[in-house]
Amino acid sequence: MWNVFLLQWKRLLKKPFLVFLFIGLTILFVYFMGGVQVNSTLTVPVYSESLTEGELDDWLGRLNEGETLIFEKTSAETAQEDIRMNEISFAMMIEEDNYQFLVGRDSQQIAAVDQHAEQIFREYNRLDAIQDEFPGTDIEVQEILSVQVENEGTGGGGLESYKLALLVGMTLYFSAYSVLFLQLNLIEEKRKGTWNRLIYSPVTKIQLYLGYLLHYFLVGSIQIIVSVFILTKLLQVDLGTNYYSLGIVIVSFIFATVSLGILLAALIPSPQSLQIVIPIVATSMAMLGGAFWTLEIVSNRFLLFIAELIPIKHGMDGMITAITQPEPLREILQPAGILVLMGILFMAIGINLMERVVKI
Amino acid sequence: MLEVKNLKKTFKKTVAVEDVDLYIEEGESVGLLGPNGAGKSTTISMISTLLPPTKGTIKYKGKDVLKNPDELRPILGVVPQDIAIYGELSAYANMKFFGKIYGLSGSQLEKKIQEILELVGLSDRQKDVVDTYSGGMKRRINIAVALMHNPEFLIMDEPTVGIDPQSRNYILNMVKRLNGEKGITILYTSHYMEEVEKLCDRVYIMDHGRIIASGTKEELKNILSNEETIVIEVAERKQAFTDLLVSQKGINQVAEEENNYQLIVSKGDQLLGEIFEQARQTNVKIKSIHIQTPTLEDVFLHLTGRKLRD
Repeated sequence: MWNVFLLQWKRLLKKPFLVFLFIGLTILFVYFMGGVQVNSTLTVPVYSESLTEGELDDWLGRLNEGETLIFEKTSAETAQEDIRMNEISFAMMIEEDNYQFLVGRDSQQIAAVDQHAEQIFREYNRLDAIQDEFPGTDIEVQEILSVQVENEGTGGGGLESYKLALLVGMTLYFSAYSVLFLQLNLIEEKRKGTWNRLIYSPVTKIQLYLGYLLHYFLVGSIQIIVSVFILTKLLQVDLGTNYYSLGIVIVSFIFATVSLGILLAALIPSPQSLQIVIPIVATSMAMLGGAFWTLEIVSNRFLLFIAELIPIKHGMDGMITAITQPEPLREILQPAGILVLMGILFMAIGINLMERVVKI
Repeated sequence: MLEVKNLKKTFKKTVAVEDVDLYIEEGESVGLLGPNGAGKSTTISMISTLLPPTKGTIKYKGKDVLKNPDELRPILGVVPQDIAIYGELSAYANMKFFGKIYGLSGSQLEKKIQEILELVGLSDRQKDVVDTYSGGMKRRINIAVALMHNPEFLIMDEPTVGIDPQSRNYILNMVKRLNGEKGITILYTSHYMEEVEKLCDRVYIMDHGRIIASGTKEELKNILSNEETIVIEVAERKQAFTDLLVSQKGINQVAEEENNYQLIVSKGDQLLGEIFEQARQTNVKIKSIHIQTPTLEDVFLHLTGRKLRD
């Protein structure tokens, strides 16, 4: 088994570009996708066509209470020109008790800004309505019951949670991509006949499979660890200290992905066809599993059900929980368990089908 | 040493191999001759324990290898038709890996690698990546890795496909030495008649999944003891001439290839006059005529009505 395992490393080191490419792509995508920058603040141009200068300043004061979003005054003309020249992706227009976005191109940051602005406006309008009801009365806001609303599975709100989801989603997507692509080797070996040479040797089939699968498993895990490490430094995302929980989720996710690769290889034994199928499967999985956009914006029950069947969804849930929760071990057991179950199922079906395939 | 009885393999409804009986004695070199798709590769896949047969028995030294593949595998070397090595690694790395999985290590492994590299003539290129080799060199390293564990029995599946005549000759001489000097028992499959004639003591001829003839080369050629072969080279083949040859009494088989006709005729029949007359009638220009003793190719033509490479 170890000879087979070591041989795969030797072969990978001769042609390591695939893995490097996918680590590079993970970093590039996360860094640039959605306009995520190194600094953790986002500047939002704000203008108004109906409010006076003073009223607009009041609103800016209320909106700028947070630390991660900076609302900056601009004119309607400047905002429109900047959007037209593609210098900004959106701007915010404030009316008397409402706001709108002037959008040049889609940006996932709008969701974070919208969430923040909606909260500020709702609070203001509520107080305004009470003031109208009891004119001349001093109204003091007293917090009796505090309800903190968090997006399920994404921990903290706003930009931080968006960055974390993007980081984890893209890392899992590209690692799945490269693990599935590496498994083309196995099919290629079966086609070329080197696999048969190994069958003739004293190495047992179980040792053979273990040698290959352990290699794919380690490559995938290393890729995730390297990508997460680099990206958390680059994006200044706090990785927390729950490394064991994080490790359990990563290992479970890679196990499920390697098994999925075996299943795909068994179903599609031609390397050429598999080369076409892998990008389709990996990208569909990422889209449906919530790596490209948060599943909270999906309302279709069928799509949400499909997401439950996809390893990336559970990998993301588990990793984000492990990073954001103080004691996540119990909470990550569910996603990790689902991933392990998926892995066992895919592996059992895949190897069974693979061993049934005969060559004329 | 090896005895195969009543071997059959079906893939769904397709019968790939049926009623195959063959035996190989220790130290023999046996040829399995047949055109592409005759069932040779399927037969050797079953003999080498890679593919379970639908029916039949395979015994090595009296022991059933289907029940206990490990009886045969340690002494078996297989040279597959495809180049089954790791192209991105050097010849040396490939041999080291295959030696290791057979349990060789240290100086024993190193000595074996150098011995085999010397045998296949690749000592000076051992550190080069296999992907940079010529077709003939790849074929040689493909054979070399099958020899790493000192096999007693070597199965070679068309080991010279797609290479230049010089490399082919090198490989044929090497196979002859493996059998003659090292005493390795060889089962050699090919659709090149001349290779089997050169290398093998006995020959099995396969077609459509069945053994249609077997014996020593002389025994097989004796099938045609009452016949001889006439090879006619013409300027241009014509269907009318072919039709006349086929209908000519005394001509038992007619095969066409490029500008040649190959006829199996009854010995003693004086047919040359008729052939020239038919060529004149159909306006075919004969460039040469050869009368030759039968080859294994002629035997195959006689038995199947087709040429080996049809």
